[in-house]
Amino acid sequence: MKRREVLTAGLGAVALAAPAIRGANAQTLKPLVIGGSVPLTGAAAETGLNVNNGYVTAATYINEVLGGVEIAGDKYKIELKLFDDASDPARATTLLQRQIDEGTEFFLGSFGSNIVLPTAAITERAKKPMVQTGGGSDAIFTRGYKYVFGMYPRATRQFASAAALFKTLQPTPQTYSVIYNNDAFSKTAAEGVKLSCDAQGFKRLDQFELPAKVTDVSSVLASVRAKTPDLLVCVVHDQDSLLIARQMVATNTNVKLLFQGLGPQLGSYREALGKYSEAILCSTYWDENVPYKDKFFGDSKKFAAYYRSKYTRPIAYHVAGAAACIETYILAMQAAKSLKPEPVRDALAAADFETFYARIKFSPEGDGDPLALGGMIGQVQKSKLETVFPEAAKSAAPVYPAPTWDKKA
Amino acid sequence: MGLIAQTLADGLVLGGIYALAAVGFSLIFGVLHVINLSHGILVLMGAYLALIFSEALHIDPLLCLPAVMAVLFCVGYCYQRYLIQHAVDRASINSMLLTFGVALMLQNAMIWLFSPDMKSITPSYAFASFKLGPVNFDAVRVSALIASLVLLSLLAAFLRYSPMGRVIRATAQQTLAARLCGVNVRHVYALTFAVSAAFAGAAGIVIGIILPFSPNDEGTWTLNAFVVVVLGGVGSPAGALIGGLLLGLVSTLTAQYVGPAFPNVTMFLLLVILLLIRPQGLLGNAFSASR
Repeated sequence: MKRREVLTAGLGAVALAAPAIRGANAQTLKPLVIGGSVPLTGAAAETGLNVNNGYVTAATYINEVLGGVEIAGDKYKIELKLFDDASDPARATTLLQRQIDEGTEFFLGSFGSNIVLPTAAITERAKKPMVQTGGGSDAIFTRGYKYVFGMYPRATRQFASAAALFKTLQPTPQTYSVIYNNDAFSKTAAEGVKLSCDAQGFKRLDQFELPAKVTDVSSVLASVRAKTPDLLVCVVHDQDSLLIARQMVATNTNVKLLFQGLGPQLGSYREALGKYSEAILCSTYWDENVPYKDKFFGDSKKFAAYYRSKYTRPIAYHVAGAAACIETYILAMQAAKSLKPEPVRDALAAADFETFYARIKFSPEGDGDPLALGGMIGQVQKSKLETVFPEAAKSAAPVYPAPTWDKKA
Repeated sequence: MGLIAQTLADGLVLGGIYALAAVGFSLIFGVLHVINLSHGILVLMGAYLALIFSEALHIDPLLCLPAVMAVLFCVGYCYQRYLIQHAVDRASINSMLLTFGVALMLQNAMIWLFSPDMKSITPSYAFASFKLGPVNFDAVRVSALIASLVLLSLLAAFLRYSPMGRVIRATAQQTLAARLCGVNVRHVYALTFAVSAAFAGAAGIVIGIILPFSPNDEGTWTLNAFVVVVLGGVGSPAGALIGGLLLGLVSTLTAQYVGPAFPNVTMFLLLVILLLIRPQGLLGNAFSASR
C-alpha cells in the first residue's frame, strides 16, 4: 500500500502537469499554471510527500469536483508543475529558475527552510509570488521579501502558544531545557523557545545543540539527569524526536513534561513508542475538528474525507496547510480579479480569508499572523493526539505532570 | 566520576555497533580494493528485511539474523559477480561510480517500496535498562553490542581458520599466486563481497533496533564505515573493531565535554590527523604484509 501511495503521489503531480492527460472538461478551461518543487526523495521526503499530497488534493478537487475555478470572468483549471527536488536546495533552485525562464508566474513552496530560503530568493528576484507551507525560519521573513508568504508564523514566534500553555499548568513549572539540531529551522525555533519561555518567566537550565544527523543522545541525557528541568523542549526532526524519547525511556530520564515539536503528530512515532508516548506534547497547526468554513471543501471534515478517498496515507497538518496554499492563491486571484503576479501579490498581502485550515492572514513580512495562523498544542492521550491548547480548540485537558516512564510501562 | 564512566560506557557500546556496520566495507576494500559506496544501502536492506521478517513471523529481530544474512549473502554474490566485476575489469574507478549509482537507484527503490517515512524495530526489551554501579545501560544497545562482538569474532574465526577464509586471505595477499594455485579468483571476490553484504545486513538489524531509520540514512552508514576503516585499518575485523570503538568513544566524549554538535568535527579532525601520520590506519592493512 505504501508503495502505491508514493507512486500515486508522484504520478498525481506529473499527471496534473501533463497537458496530454487533460480531461474532456478541461478542454474548455484555461490553464492556471502553478509551479514549484517538493521533496519526494531525500531527507525531507516524509513530510514532503504530505505537502505534495495536499497540493494535489486541492488541485484535483477544484478541477474534478468543482469543474475549475472562476477568476475575473474566466474559468480556469489548475495545472500544477511540481518536480522532485530530492531535498536538495541546489536542485530546487535550478528547477525553479528553469520554471521562471519558461514563464511560470506563481509558485508553491517546497518543504524545509533550507530549501525554501534559496528558492524564495529566486522567486523574489523575479517578482513572482510564492505561497508556502514548508519554511518557518526567520531568515525567510526578515530579508525584506515582498513576494513570499508562509502559512506559519516565523520560527521565533511559533512557540508563544506552548509557553502560554506551560504558564497555565498547575503546579506551575519553573525550569526548562531545550534540545535542537544544528540547522536553520531548528536553531531559530530554539531561539523562539528561549524567547517565549524567558518571557513567561521560566528559568533555562541548559541548551543542547545536536548535529544535523544524530545517532546517539546518551551524553545529552546524562546531562539532563544531572540537572533535571521541569520541561524538556526538543525542536528537532521526527527521527531525532523518536531517538530522544526512546533513549529517555531506556535510561529512565524523567521530566515533568516532554515537548517535541515534530514527531508525536505521526502515527509511526506513536506506534514505535507505544504506551510511552502518553502525555508527550507537540505543536500542531490543524485538526479535523477546527471550526472554520470553507468556500471550496465546505469544512475540515469534508476536506479530510475527500483526502481519504484519494490516499491511504494518514492525514497530517502539512497536507491541510498545502491544500490551503492553493485555496489562498485562488482567493487572492479572485480578490485581485487578475492573474498578474503584482496584483495577486498585493491581494495576498491584504489577505483575510477563511479556509477550512484557518483564517489566512499574513504579517507585513509575509509569515503567518501569530494569532490567525499560530499553532495549537497537541498531547498524546491514550495513543491519540488531543488538542490541549488553545482553549477554543481544546479537545482534552492537558495531563501534567506526565507520569514517569516506569508508571507508563 | 559517574559521568565519565557513563560516557565511556556509552562510547564503547556505540563503538561496537559502528564496528559491525563497517566490517563489511573494510573487507571489500582490503580484498577487492573496491570502495563500496553502496555499503549503507546494504545496511538498510538488512534493517528493512528484519522489520519485515520480525513483523511477519512475530519473532525477536535478532532471531532474523540468519535469514537476513542469507538473503544479503545471495544479493552480495550476484551484485559483485554480475555488476561490479564487469566494472572492475574495465577500470578500477568504474566500481566506485557503479556502486554510487546503484546506491542512488536502490535508495529511490526503497522509497517506492517502503515510503520515505521513518521506521523502527521495537523488540520486547526496547525500553529496558539496567544499572552497574553508577552506570546506566540501555538493554537494547547492550544486546546490539553483544551481537556485534559475537559476529565480529565469528568473522575473524572464519577468515583465520576456515579453508575458505584462508583462500580469501591468500587471494588478498597474492592474487597472481592464488590464481596459479588454482584458486577461482572471481568466485573468491564474489564470495568475499557476499560475506561482507551479509555482515552489512546483520549490522542493519542491530542498527534498526536502536535507531529509527529511513532510506535517506544510507549515506551516514557508508561515511561512518569509511571513517572507521581509515582509523582502524583495512581488511580485518580487529581493525574495524578498533576503529569503531575509537569513533564511538570520540563521539560520546566530544558530545559530553565539548558539545553535542561537535562529534563530527572531532571525528573528521582525527581522520585528517591519522591520514597524515598513519595513513594505513592503527592496525595497518591486514593483507599487505606479503604484497
